[in-house]
Amino acid sequence: MKKTYYLFNPGRMSRKDNTLKFTPVDESGKEGMPKYIPVEGVSDFYCFGSLDANSALYNFLGKNGISVHFFDYYEHYTGSFQSKEYLLAGKMQINQTQHYLHTGKRMAIAQKLITGAAFNMSKNLKYYHNRGKDLEIQLTKIDLYAQEIENTTTISGLMGIEGNIRQVYYQAFDIIIKDHAMEGRSKQPPMNELNALISFGNMMCYTLCLDQIYHTQLNPTISFLHEPGYRRYSLALDLAEIFKPILVDRIIFRVLNKKEIQSKDFDFHVNKVILKESGKKVFIRAFEERLNETIKHRTLNKQVSYKSLVKLECYKLSKHLLEMETYQPFKIWW
Amino acid sequence: MYIILVYDIGEKRVGKMLKLCRKYLNWIQNSVFEGEITEVKYKELIIYAKKIMKIEEDSLIVFKSREEKWLDKEVIGQERNDLDTFI
Repeated sequence: MKKTYYLFNPGRMSRKDNTLKFTPVDESGKEGMPKYIPVEGVSDFYCFGSLDANSALYNFLGKNGISVHFFDYYEHYTGSFQSKEYLLAGKMQINQTQHYLHTGKRMAIAQKLITGAAFNMSKNLKYYHNRGKDLEIQLTKIDLYAQEIENTTTISGLMGIEGNIRQVYYQAFDIIIKDHAMEGRSKQPPMNELNALISFGNMMCYTLCLDQIYHTQLNPTISFLHEPGYRRYSLALDLAEIFKPILVDRIIFRVLNKKEIQSKDFDFHVNKVILKESGKKVFIRAFEERLNETIKHRTLNKQVSYKSLVKLECYKLSKHLLEMETYQPFKIWW
Repeated sequence: MYIILVYDIGEKRVGKMLKLCRKYLNWIQNSVFEGEITEVKYKELIIYAKKIMKIEEDSLIVFKSREEKWLDKEVIGQERNDLDTFI
């Protein structure tokens, strides 16, 4: 399987002999030993440090179908370079738009997405409940809210329930995580360590979903749960809902409870907290490990990595849009 | 599959071989490469390599392993190039 590369150090990426060459540059502008990256083995780049590159490189990356995702200093996702769409399908586009425009059809998908998200969230809590943390109250509350999903008729009503579920879910974090307090969800900017981690993790999950959507025929700008806005790929947000509990939250519990990330891995400012590079690296390493982990898929009857689960979800959605099979959200079964 | 590729090739052609291998695998030492590669990409690499080589004079050896985890690697002295994906 092709690999994802994470660029933290500043340097210059260039095309050399039809492959990629990375020359690190230190603060005084001195060049280090160049490193060659086998172009055939790269799936994409995540760019956290500053990267020098020219259009010749981007042409080359484009031809090889390698995308580059950029993040700013405050670890926000700023954008991607992706080669031209290679799986164009007009029929899919039309069906996707139709499903968005038709309220009933749109609600059907949106409800499924939330059901999946709620299920995966309560599964997370059950895991810790079975290991001696008392999460009875949160579990029943989520269950109650989840039952209301079916009765909603508007997107805003559905989003309201989603908000309630998430609130209860985040309350449970205080019980699960030992040393860090949640103190409610805060974002833009995150106010404490845990919130900073959640923001960072959600952003990674969002980018992953976007990247997987790119490899299917779906259009990333037309979404069902979130309102398709301008300047953002809202279908990726929709999909991320389902995978955030599985990919992000579980890793957060792990890195904090095993003390792989500690307070020293955060930068504290007057009214915001952000992850330091050391913290980002630990998180991404754990995230990457998880993505490459495989499970035996029930219906496909073969080993599937967590990363391809996201892609399979896109396929299921496509089938639903083409009215071949009704969409069933991914529910974690282990 | 995960492979280790070594070559011993005439001076005139060695540069070409180096450039070719860099496209597919990670360089770890002079004329030694390793990395994850798919069956198809491997075939492609070998076809190109044969074009560069003079079969009577040059030699290329590939050690194959089904997965990286079945390979114990020990580095003594300097590690010329670590294969981390965090750069």
